[in-house]
Amino acid sequence: MRAYLTTIIEGGTEAYDLEIVEAASGFEALKTLPHHKFDAILTDINMPDINGLELVSFLKNHPVHRSIPIMVISTESRDEDRKRAAALGAEEYLVKPFQASELIEKLRRLLKVA
Amino acid sequence: MSKEDDRALNEFTGEAEELLDTLSRDLVELEAQGRDVRPEVINKIFREVHSLKGLAGMLGFGEISELSHTLEDMLDRLRMGKIEITRDLIDLLYDAVDSLNRLVIAINDPAVSGLIDITGLTRRIHHVVSSQPQKAHDDPFADLTLDEQTKKSLTEYEEHRLVENVRGRKHILAVEVRFDFSDFDEKLRALTELLSQSGEVISTLPAIDSSGGAGIAFRLLYGSTMNVAEVAALVPEGSVTSLRIAEPAGSAESVDAAAPIDVPEEDLSLRSISQTVRVDISKLDHVMNIVGELIIEKTQLDTLTRSLHQGEALQQARLTAHELTKIARNFDRKLNELQKSVIETRMVPVGQIYAKLSRTVRKVARELNKEIELVLRGEDTELDKVMVEELTDPLMHIIRNALDHGIESAEERVKAGKNPIGRITLNAYQQGNSVVLDVTDDGRGIDPENVRKAGIKRNLIAQHDPFDQVRAYEMLFTPGFSTASAVSEISGRGVGLDVVKKNLQELKGTIDIRSVPGEGSTFRIMLPITLAIIQALVVRAGGEQFAIPLTSVEESLRIYSRDIRTVERREVFTLRDFTLPLLRLADAFHLGHERDENPDSKWFVVVTRSGEKVAGILVDALVRQQEVVIKSIGERLKTIPGIAGATEVGEGEIVLVIDVGTLIEQFGGKAREMRAAVAWVS
Repeated sequence: MRAYLTTIIEGGTEAYDLEIVEAASGFEALKTLPHHKFDAILTDINMPDINGLELVSFLKNHPVHRSIPIMVISTESRDEDRKRAAALGAEEYLVKPFQASELIEKLRRLLKVA
Repeated sequence: MSKEDDRALNEFTGEAEELLDTLSRDLVELEAQGRDVRPEVINKIFREVHSLKGLAGMLGFGEISELSHTLEDMLDRLRMGKIEITRDLIDLLYDAVDSLNRLVIAINDPAVSGLIDITGLTRRIHHVVSSQPQKAHDDPFADLTLDEQTKKSLTEYEEHRLVENVRGRKHILAVEVRFDFSDFDEKLRALTELLSQSGEVISTLPAIDSSGGAGIAFRLLYGSTMNVAEVAALVPEGSVTSLRIAEPAGSAESVDAAAPIDVPEEDLSLRSISQTVRVDISKLDHVMNIVGELIIEKTQLDTLTRSLHQGEALQQARLTAHELTKIARNFDRKLNELQKSVIETRMVPVGQIYAKLSRTVRKVARELNKEIELVLRGEDTELDKVMVEELTDPLMHIIRNALDHGIESAEERVKAGKNPIGRITLNAYQQGNSVVLDVTDDGRGIDPENVRKAGIKRNLIAQHDPFDQVRAYEMLFTPGFSTASAVSEISGRGVGLDVVKKNLQELKGTIDIRSVPGEGSTFRIMLPITLAIIQALVVRAGGEQFAIPLTSVEESLRIYSRDIRTVERREVFTLRDFTLPLLRLADAFHLGHERDENPDSKWFVVVTRSGEKVAGILVDALVRQQEVVIKSIGERLKTIPGIAGATEVGEGEIVLVIDVGTLIEQFGGKAREMRAAVAWVS
């Protein structure tokens, strides 16, 4: 699924001039944070090391990173978890599997660009 | 279909079969653990079905993908504790895996597809999912002092795990640690692994380092058999607090003693599902052939060295011989390593067929209306892949037999003071270069008298023929023999134990019976670990050389003609405290090589064993011990009993490899009417 996501997202990189940093696990995501200034963060819920909710919780309580908008991506059956992500402060969610256009639309909304 | 498509298809079927195979084995484990199943097992099954769904979906196998999807949904609910493990659910899982297997087979063999009822299966799955009452969730946080942030960051699954840990009367602890940002991932993974040995790390919440340093803090929610003090001792750098308002009723320790050891779940999820690499067996055969040829080369080197040693040669030649010996020795060591590693790649755990057996037992037991407990042991015992495949049918047959004829009805069992539930144990283990498989039942056992009566009825023996337990067991393997008064649907399929024995002999294996009337029987199968290369004793008899597989050789000794006695017209030799029946190898193959015999003429006796039968093979000389590669000798010679194949023993010299099992059997059969005879010693 990661490969699939990456393909879609990489396609987006070229078409929309986005720079993307990929992290393969929750730990990797944490390690990447200080090195970049992110405009948005997209995260799965089921991940190795720490899960998406824990990541959202960390980010939204962080003095620096709390303002980065977050989109949570998960499958239909994780409906309850999506609600929890929203309660923790995640701004947007996307249900897998999704179309590239859906992703772009939600990303636009997240970044507040027309 | 293009070649590419073909390859993709083959790869899919291979991968799918492997997944389903692992899945079947995990189901056996799930069934064995029952309601106390460890969460990793369900998670693993869930991930396997998920992988299969993805795989099938990618290649457009709609039915497989849909069925896996429905199944995945059900497993997800199971994982979340929304439905419970019941008998029906396990049956359903077995049936679903069965159907998935068939669907995969149907890709190459459309005839199978008619046998698959997906709609029925899907309906059953939906039924299980919808009819099971949702388990009432008590407030998992009622007895806990859980901080708000941790509580809010739990996924639904983690919450379920927390509930299970609370129910399991585990200590619920918060472990707070702080690490340097540079290596927190390694440190935390190590800590998680350590903690997972005596509990479950339910969640890992990162937080800003409040001490103002450059580190990162983590708050671990931990369900454990250890109490605060014990965990604190284990994690000196962290702070540990109990989250339970009241300690669990009853000592946690006493509950935990029986608790299975948790495998770190995170650990599992990081690895791929299977640790195995699929290799086309024909490629391995090829490598194996090269090894075989190398062995032949090496044998020639040996021969050359020997002749140099023996020759009345110059000093220089002796030195050369010495050098050659050294080279040969090193060559040997390397060759052994290569051989061992190649053989190892061919090895698979016998557990691969356990799932199949377990399914059959469940099915047959249901048909026979008998309640059976099947105990499977030694599933990690390894055997050559080809052997494992060939072993399925004979094993299945023996187990069916035990179920049908061995295990009594529940009433009979109760009357005999036994547990109404019959027990069949399959135990596999390695013994030297052989693998032993014991199928033991606690049924009625084999009564020699019943076997004798049945034998007389079938004209296999005469009324007054001598008869004993050994004969009785032999008779069970005679073609056309069956003690069941009515040929039953289960084991009476026109195939008897004689076929089982024949199949096993083709694998160079043996089968023996031990039985105590009223207590049960054990069928013991012994197989060499691999068929390809064996250690053999090269002997000479009647002017010819033969190779005897070392696995059949107990010992060899030198005797004189005067030591050979004749008892009841059979040639025997007293070996320590028992009488060893003898077999003249030259006579067995009708080699008209007369040797003059007087009481002082020397013989060598190779004491051989095939299963429970022991016989001494009389030969003129022992030549040497060496590794041989058994080659088939073609259809025509295949029918000659006593010969397993041929091999080259250096300088292109071909010798026949003896099949001890059929040799002593065949020779014994003839000898009863002829001059010499062989009796079996147990």
